[in-house]
Amino acid sequence: MTDSHESNTGPKPLLEARGLTKDYGDTRALDSLDLAIAPGEVYCLLGPNGAGKTTTINLFLGFVAPSAGQALVSGLDVSTHDRESKRRLAYIPEQVMLYRNLSGIENLEYFAALGGQGSLGRERLVEILVEAGLDGDAAGRRVSTYSKGMRQKVGIAIAIAKEADALLLDEPTSGLDPTASSEFSALVERLRNRGVAVLMATHDLFRAKDTGTRVGIMHYGRLVTELSTAEVGHADLERIYLEHVSDNGGPR
Amino acid sequence: MTARTVLKNEWRLLMADRPLQIALGLFLVLLGYALTNGVVWLRFQERTVEATTSGNVERASALQQELEAIEAGGQPSSPFADPRSPRVLGGPSGSHTAVLAPGPLAALAIGQGDLLPYYYDVNIYTNEASFQQNGEVENPLNLMVGRFDLAFAVVYLLPLLVLALSFNVLSEEREQGTLALTLSQPVSARSVVTVKLAFRALVVAGIVLGVSLLGALATGGFGSPGRLLLWSVTVVAYSLFWFALAAWVNALGRSSAWNATVLVGAWLVLVVVLPAAINAAAGLLHPQPSRVEMVTAQREASNDAVNRRSELLARYLEDHPEMAEGVVADEPGLGALSWAATDAVNGRLEEVAAEHDARRAEQTALVRRYRFLSPALLAQEALLDAAGTGDARFAHFQSQVRAFAEQWRDFFVPAILADEQMNASVLPNVPRFGVADEGSTDVARRATVPLGVLGGLLALVSAAAGVGLGRVRGAD
Repeated sequence: MTDSHESNTGPKPLLEARGLTKDYGDTRALDSLDLAIAPGEVYCLLGPNGAGKTTTINLFLGFVAPSAGQALVSGLDVSTHDRESKRRLAYIPEQVMLYRNLSGIENLEYFAALGGQGSLGRERLVEILVEAGLDGDAAGRRVSTYSKGMRQKVGIAIAIAKEADALLLDEPTSGLDPTASSEFSALVERLRNRGVAVLMATHDLFRAKDTGTRVGIMHYGRLVTELSTAEVGHADLERIYLEHVSDNGGPR
Repeated sequence: MTARTVLKNEWRLLMADRPLQIALGLFLVLLGYALTNGVVWLRFQERTVEATTSGNVERASALQQELEAIEAGGQPSSPFADPRSPRVLGGPSGSHTAVLAPGPLAALAIGQGDLLPYYYDVNIYTNEASFQQNGEVENPLNLMVGRFDLAFAVVYLLPLLVLALSFNVLSEEREQGTLALTLSQPVSARSVVTVKLAFRALVVAGIVLGVSLLGALATGGFGSPGRLLLWSVTVVAYSLFWFALAAWVNALGRSSAWNATVLVGAWLVLVVVLPAAINAAAGLLHPQPSRVEMVTAQREASNDAVNRRSELLARYLEDHPEMAEGVVADEPGLGALSWAATDAVNGRLEEVAAEHDARRAEQTALVRRYRFLSPALLAQEALLDAAGTGDARFAHFQSQVRAFAEQWRDFFVPAILADEQMNASVLPNVPRFGVADEGSTDVARRATVPLGVLGGLLALVSAAAGVGLGRVRGAD
């Protein structure tokens, strides 16, 4: 278990939160979050519903404006460098929703081009989809015929195509069967090995331990503890999680 | 790059969306039907104009032959239709029909062309009653409903197609979940929605302008490029207004169902209710005198004149008992008396007509003042003006016919009063009507008002939409 998460001597963090705070009216959804994720790190945010995990991701995406503090992507403040920061980010939501009447290839081509990758060509697009685990034959079919797992793979393919510095995952394995979840973890691992910084919000303790390099437990908008996955076992992680999310520190 | 990417995606989505293709196809069919209606009406008008023009020539030629025959010693075909009499030569049997040829783009917009007269039979008895017969004051939209033409399709149906294509341009992305993925890319909701709507606007404008140009090509409308340009600009501005309105409503962040309800409500209010309400208000605030009043005045004045003529005739015969037997209608002296009676009728009719005109002017002023509230009225005014079937062109024509009728009377009445007989040599000097149609500059000048206001409304709604879309960030 570590208390410090920022090092002045380590690689420059690709995702960083500095006193990041978000209020919705009188409710504080996120309270002074400090966080730094270096290249090749997979940081898993754990916590019950309403803990502030998705709010954190939305703040990094610029989907909501912070009430205080900063969210930085590759050193760029998201509030003032919206487009530049998004160029360096890839995002996979809980449910990757695509254009149902278009094929996986067409969806990938569209989102990759929006992400700034230009026209990749059909062969390269299929290559990326296959790399993301999608069956080559399925790539040309309409997305309306895809399972959730297949759509998640297209989401991964979009992230791969973007060659982003950082990846934001919002409960990406929710609703996936164990095989699909495992495949998904392997893909995240591959991106991590390429030096991508990953921030993943999840309820899945097993997946967090298995995929993450660090875990942060959130409760009522606060990061209540951080630990290295290398230092804890599955059972420890569950015990620590339950200790910290027991309802004894209500919202401020 | 973003624009090209979104355009390409929109094209793919359109190609994959069968219901949308059917809707567009149906709209195209309706436009084709509307254009066919317009062309049929135009051909009918052209035939009428042709028949009227040749009727003028035939009448003049027949009168010339008869006059020459009489001068050669022949007898008039009827003692009551002696062409030497100025009351006959300048009356109904020698009349000249003043004709307004169909407008350059008449096939695109019948407009009020089927309600306002495009020809008048002008003779010495032409009076205000002749001009009042068709002066129906009515909401232009209501008038237009009579025929299904391209202008109707543009003003009424095009907004519905635009709304069908755009009511969920952003809400659908939010509801189907693609918005978050889209806005996680380095693009703004405003730029994506703008390009999406631009594509749809291109499709709609392409279809409408394509059919319009086809119609113009088939009916010689390319001879008036200025009017064609005005038509096209109006179609584009009107379409963009509805697209901008849809963008604005989408920017409010509500559901697709809510957007559809609000936008259809806006269509109902702006296209149907407001024009009708303005028209109803005009009728209520400035009620038109009963048309029966005009008919009654004409009848009373005519009766009075007939009575007066009888008295005069009686006095005349009393003074000239030798004429009491075998008197004919064209007896010298009777013409002057008869004309005095006609003139009295005309005078009375002018008084009543002035009252009608004043009320009509008040109604028109009110409708014109409040037409700015409805983009549909503005677009319709500009479209009809471009097509040459708006009321301005007909009013311009009518004023020329009035002047011509005056000219006609000035030619014949002195002879009537002087009891002179006419001969074939005067025929070349009889006035002939030639309409001086409005130039493109006049039309363009007049169109700047509705188009300017429409442009202003478009700018206003676009600005509101732009501000609203600028606030869309992806997690609302």
